[in-house]
Amino acid sequence: MLLAPVEYYRPDTIDEALEALQTDGARPLAGGQSLISILKLRATTVDLLVDISRLDDLRSISVADDGSVTIGAGVTYDEMAMSPDLHHAYPGLSTIAAHTVDAQVRNRGTFGGNLCHNDPINNFPPFVVAVDAVMHATGANGSRDIPAGEFFTGYFTNALTDDELLTSVTLPPLNGRSIGYQEIEIGEAAARAVAIVAMSNGSIESASVALGCLPIPVRRPAVESALAGADSTPEAVAEATAAAGDGIEPVSDADASADYRRAMAPVVAKRAVLEAIQGGHHG
Amino acid sequence: MADGPAPIHDIEFTLNGDSVSRTVSSRMLLVHFLRDELGLRGPKIGCDTGHCGACTVNYDGKVIKSCMALAVQADGATIDTVESLAGESGDLDELQESFREHHGLQCGYCTSGVLMSAKFLLDRNPNPSAEEIREAIHGNLCRCTGYVNIVKAISAVAHGDSGLALIERLNREHATEVDA
Repeated sequence: MLLAPVEYYRPDTIDEALEALQTDGARPLAGGQSLISILKLRATTVDLLVDISRLDDLRSISVADDGSVTIGAGVTYDEMAMSPDLHHAYPGLSTIAAHTVDAQVRNRGTFGGNLCHNDPINNFPPFVVAVDAVMHATGANGSRDIPAGEFFTGYFTNALTDDELLTSVTLPPLNGRSIGYQEIEIGEAAARAVAIVAMSNGSIESASVALGCLPIPVRRPAVESALAGADSTPEAVAEATAAAGDGIEPVSDADASADYRRAMAPVVAKRAVLEAIQGGHHG
Repeated sequence: MADGPAPIHDIEFTLNGDSVSRTVSSRMLLVHFLRDELGLRGPKIGCDTGHCGACTVNYDGKVIKSCMALAVQADGATIDTVESLAGESGDLDELQESFREHHGLQCGYCTSGVLMSAKFLLDRNPNPSAEEIREAIHGNLCRCTGYVNIVKAISAVAHGDSGLALIERLNREHATEVDA
């Protein structure tokens, strides 16, 4: 057996899941596309797997009248990719989901799992930070909302307590803004940027820019200020995004050095902004 | 939760059309259960890490890697392995036949996974482009064929051609992709 002995429980409701998560050593199992790998390696100790993958309350995508989108934490990448509602409200996000890893992982891996696991190579953490999403968590002591910018706390860690679940994530209305999403892959993703851009009369009205492939995805306020009101030309965007890598502390590993990742930050930031200017991410 | 959950569970699910009831350890991977407990040697173990796709099965209508799921999770599910493709008398289905005709395999180790991914693609998208075929088998590693004949075999089933007509059609598609 690859896995160490572990107990398994499949609750029928969120309340049952929360009760089970009170147990010492309990951990939620969603799509398992990261957690099962970790369990195979015996890189962490889990005594009880609480299988939340079939909880219907975690599995819906809903679009509100104002254009905001709430995605259940248990929605798979494939369900995101195939959702007409999401495609309409957040076209760039459904495209990102459609190209995440491979078909088998997309059929099993979940939006919430990708966010909670917060592996620096995961694609959704910088996305929710870029759009200022709100993370909805629930636990034995009630529910709370966590701004995406405060959700990620470091490598593989997040702001949830051990007995809390991420239940859904609300993305604010795009209101005509376009999504840029660019990465450089060397083995795994080495650098990634997400840009959300509003245009006005051919120039940039406002932009938010987030970088991924970091222990904590970060916004780049200085870059955002430089982009606001800037021309939409490649030269102007390159100038505004030139400092995107300043002060970030990426990891050095077998795929890429920290220096390389830092040097690529302005490259992916520029590309993401230009992609958004040109209409947005289409894969 | 007073007694705590048991590390052994009774599960019941549908496998290749038949109902199966078993008791499984909660730490057993689905692929080990299928191969070692149920004797289905179609799903292969190529990497143990969720990368190679040789263990791909259809699970509730969608392909998954059976080394990335627990057997206990299969309770209530409907699972089809590559063994579901051929008829009872052993007749190959059209996808398997096409892999044979177009030499879509050499050692064959990846084939059961590739076939399941290809079937999932064609169920969803009966007329895929070569690019869509390549994307659909992105999660299935083949170290023999270079994928060319795999794409050919899948494309031939989708478009109902073979021989020179198939090659010329794929060449035209490739030229369009390069132009784009």
